[in-house]
Amino acid sequence: MAAWRMTRPSFGAIGPLLALLGACLFFATQSDRFFTGDNFALVLQQVMVVGVIAIGQTLVVLTAGVDLSCGMVMALGGIVMTTLASASGVPVPVAIACGIGVTALFGAINGWLVTAIKLPPFIVTLGTLNIAFAITQLYSDAQTVTEIPESMTALGRTFDIGGTSVVYGVVLMLLLYGVARFVLRETAAGRHVYAVGNNPEATRLTGIPTQRVLLGVYVTAGVCYGLAALLSVARTGVGDPNAGQTENLDAITAVVLGGTSLFGGRGSVLGSLVGALIVGVFRNGLTLMGVSSVYQILITGVLVILAVTADQLSRRGQGGR
Amino acid sequence: MMAEATTPSTSGVNADSPTLVVQATGLVKRYGHVTALDGMDFELRDREILAVIGDNGAGKSSLIRALSGALIPDSGEICLDGKRVHFRSPIDARRAGIETVYQELAVAPAMTIAENLFLGREVRRAGVLGSVLRMLDKKRMLRESAEYLAELRIGIGSMTQAVETLSGGQRQGVAVARSAAFARHVVIMDEPTAALGVKEGTQVLELIRRVRDRGLAVVLISHNMPHVFEIADRIHVARLGKRAAVLDPKRVSMSDAVAVMTGAIAAEQLA
Repeated sequence: MAAWRMTRPSFGAIGPLLALLGACLFFATQSDRFFTGDNFALVLQQVMVVGVIAIGQTLVVLTAGVDLSCGMVMALGGIVMTTLASASGVPVPVAIACGIGVTALFGAINGWLVTAIKLPPFIVTLGTLNIAFAITQLYSDAQTVTEIPESMTALGRTFDIGGTSVVYGVVLMLLLYGVARFVLRETAAGRHVYAVGNNPEATRLTGIPTQRVLLGVYVTAGVCYGLAALLSVARTGVGDPNAGQTENLDAITAVVLGGTSLFGGRGSVLGSLVGALIVGVFRNGLTLMGVSSVYQILITGVLVILAVTADQLSRRGQGGR
Repeated sequence: MMAEATTPSTSGVNADSPTLVVQATGLVKRYGHVTALDGMDFELRDREILAVIGDNGAGKSSLIRALSGALIPDSGEICLDGKRVHFRSPIDARRAGIETVYQELAVAPAMTIAENLFLGREVRRAGVLGSVLRMLDKKRMLRESAEYLAELRIGIGSMTQAVETLSGGQRQGVAVARSAAFARHVVIMDEPTAALGVKEGTQVLELIRRVRDRGLAVVLISHNMPHVFEIADRIHVARLGKRAAVLDPKRVSMSDAVAVMTGAIAAEQLA
């Protein structure tokens, strides 16, 4: 009985990739401009911010949590680094470090509330979502920060691959995915993240400091949001106090579409990249087809529900709780 | 040979008695007006399977929780290999060499058998890959898992299989194997056969025997009297927070053991 399940590839690993390929094929038949190098470079550029947020989000979701504050924390990080670099004249590397420091601090606050006070991640991050948003508006006076030093937007510059211009930020995103995948799969720290999501009590009883693992996950997620802020600033060229509002839920959507279970303990970070690409490809393809953005949102919603349904059904199939 | 029914007051070590791995004396634990442990004594010998039986509320699980570090007794002392120990958490007990197989919480279901066996004790690769990149030596862990499960004769083919794909008995086998692999002194098993079918239950009993034969002392908590009588070297009967008796399953009947457990007869009457 157990044997045939062994041989069946899990939906979580293959499903999202098939969905992405299917979407690509569909849009290729609908628009001549879809299947071009320039268009793919554009999708990647549009996806890079969400993609990097989704790395942090994946870590949190793997521990059976969710981080609703991700986009707002990113916006705060972006405002901090741009304000410091433009108005205050702080050297760019220092300003960037401060921005990432602030997002990491927010991660630490989330992690502390979840581990020490033992509040549900959903509630904690719902609170910090609002707090981060308010601080962003207050700190920036609800004004967009312009006149940013050029070196701060360096990741928005492009280089040439076979006639297609690719943004450096995309390279950073792919690099971060590589690092995250390595840590999660090949190191004890990464396996402990899965174990905590799988069975926190059993994990604690093996002597693994589960609270420290959780705290580490939230802080690392915060760092990811800070790096995403840097990419967002590089892409838009400004510090936008209203950034991160679509990315906030898109990142969660990407993680779920990528096959990571909201119940924790199963999934992969590369799945989230695929999930982010699915969202990006749908937006891009529907735009090319001339479908209005409201329908794009509608379709994204349907996709999420389908993905969660697939997750649930496959779990039932495996006899999991 | 095996001691016959002994009275609860004997807590000292007799000169001719075998080595005691764990000795607890006068354990007391109160929760408000409820007394869970009321001067409980406990002795576990080297390389034996000691079954602990008792009605609900007899102090059986409190005793086990005290031994595994999950409960800190109000008074009384626990000695491990003759040395006084103070466990503040299950992790302390683990470090001291006492492993516990809990009923429900033993494994991470979505992770592989090898990962579960090595959880918290992962082996890193040699050289720079291990020390700088902190890479795990997955091959070695897979190999050692396979060797180890083969040694305990747990018939599972692939170590890369997720634990949730295993049957209940196999899963319990992995949990027991995990504990036995890392215990230095004692393995405590809480109802290891409770959720299993007849055949699987028997297999787990066999496994418990092999764990003992590898040189460990085993504490077995079970409600299943036939299992207790089949496998235990001695039976510790808990009643009203105290040790009511230590019985030799070869000399007393199952119904007598139950009678002592429920207080229908005193242990002295069995002799």
